Amino acid sequence: MTGLDRLDLKGFVANSVRGVFQTMLSMSLSPSEPPSRETLADGRHIVGTVGFAGTVMGNVNLFVSLEFAREMTAAMIGVAPEEVGGEEEVKDVVGEVCNMVGGDLKSRLCDAGFPCSLSIPTITCGEHFQIESKGWVRQERLGFKNSRHAALLEVYVKSSQ
Amino acid sequence: MALKVLTVDDSKTIRMIVKKAFQPYDCTLVEAENGVEGLAAATREKPGLIILDITMPVMNGVEMLDRLKADADLKDIPVIMLTAESGKDNVINIVKKGVRDYMVKPFKGEDLIARVKKILPLAERAAEESPEAKPGKYFTQIDDIVVLTLPAKVTRPVTVEIEGSLQAKVKEMGEASLKKLILDMGGVTETNVSLIKLIISSIQQCQKSSIAVKLVATPKQGEELKGFQETSALPVTHSIAEAKTAF
Repeated sequence: MTGLDRLDLKGFVANSVRGVFQTMLSMSLSPSEPPSRETLADGRHIVGTVGFAGTVMGNVNLFVSLEFAREMTAAMIGVAPEEVGGEEEVKDVVGEVCNMVGGDLKSRLCDAGFPCSLSIPTITCGEHFQIESKGWVRQERLGFKNSRHAALLEVYVKSSQ
Repeated sequence: MALKVLTVDDSKTIRMIVKKAFQPYDCTLVEAENGVEGLAAATREKPGLIILDITMPVMNGVEMLDRLKADADLKDIPVIMLTAESGKDNVINIVKKGVRDYMVKPFKGEDLIARVKKILPLAERAAEESPEAKPGKYFTQIDDIVVLTLPAKVTRPVTVEIEGSLQAKVKEMGEASLKKLILDMGGVTETNVSLIKLIISSIQQCQKSSIAVKLVATPKQGEELKGFQETSALPVTHSIAEAKTAF
């Protein structure tokens, strides 16, 4: 795996998620057992995805309920949840959070000798859908929670060589 | 003359946060959501500063930077990169291209302003220039104590208005050697995120000017504040009289 297996992906990403939520949303998240997608997918949910490609390839998926995504949006732009505008605003915030986590991971991969580029975020939103990522060498699933909500972050990585 | 700032980012939310950070200053914000729009805006507006993201659709920030530096009319505009990418090679590459500073997301608006101030002087917006800033609207004075009374509903626009007013008031208090402020939220009917942010920003603004602050809230509000991490440890008094005694 050309050294990819030695990287502490889980540690990188866990710190990154907590840092982004704390700094941008003034929201504390604790690590938790990764929630099942079914739990998060009870009702409308939203998935932010960024990919990276170069000597390593991979993607980062952030799964949250739509309700949590609205609270994240409210916190990031400094309004009450009921003041959050349309879904575009919510998608923008989830995409940007995902971009920050993915950007940090990409930077750490580059620093570890795996140069790669980052994609712009994509958003998937709806009910009863699944996102499958196949053919990866490493997969990490991390759970986070606060007093009201849970989030799931998945990281997939493989060497392109 | 107001400093013209061009913020180029594909995220509307980030552009909004940047805009809000510059709000207390005498600046005009111009927005663009990718490198192509950013170059057009730079040519048209001739900004005094560009805040530039890297990962964007259509044209990324690195390409936009290259084109700026290749344009005799635009190459001297200071650029601060604001990006999620912090890899060493990336930073070195960007710095070599002539950016003035490099800031990694996640970020706080006040940190961005601190970086800008290292490059350019930022003049604070005069109170009379801002329609939102009306010192006195929320303020009363009891002896040597200024009381800031929050309205029943604190929404984002109200927060912006009060933050502007408080900035002017704090300056006025400094000139009058007044060093005590009571933040009275007793009349607020809903504890929401805007209120929490306003409480924190007000306390921070006062602390910067060495003004002591006492918070007045109902017992129910006091319990609600404990539910938010930022305000969970804030001491609360339950009346103006109690707050006065607590100074």
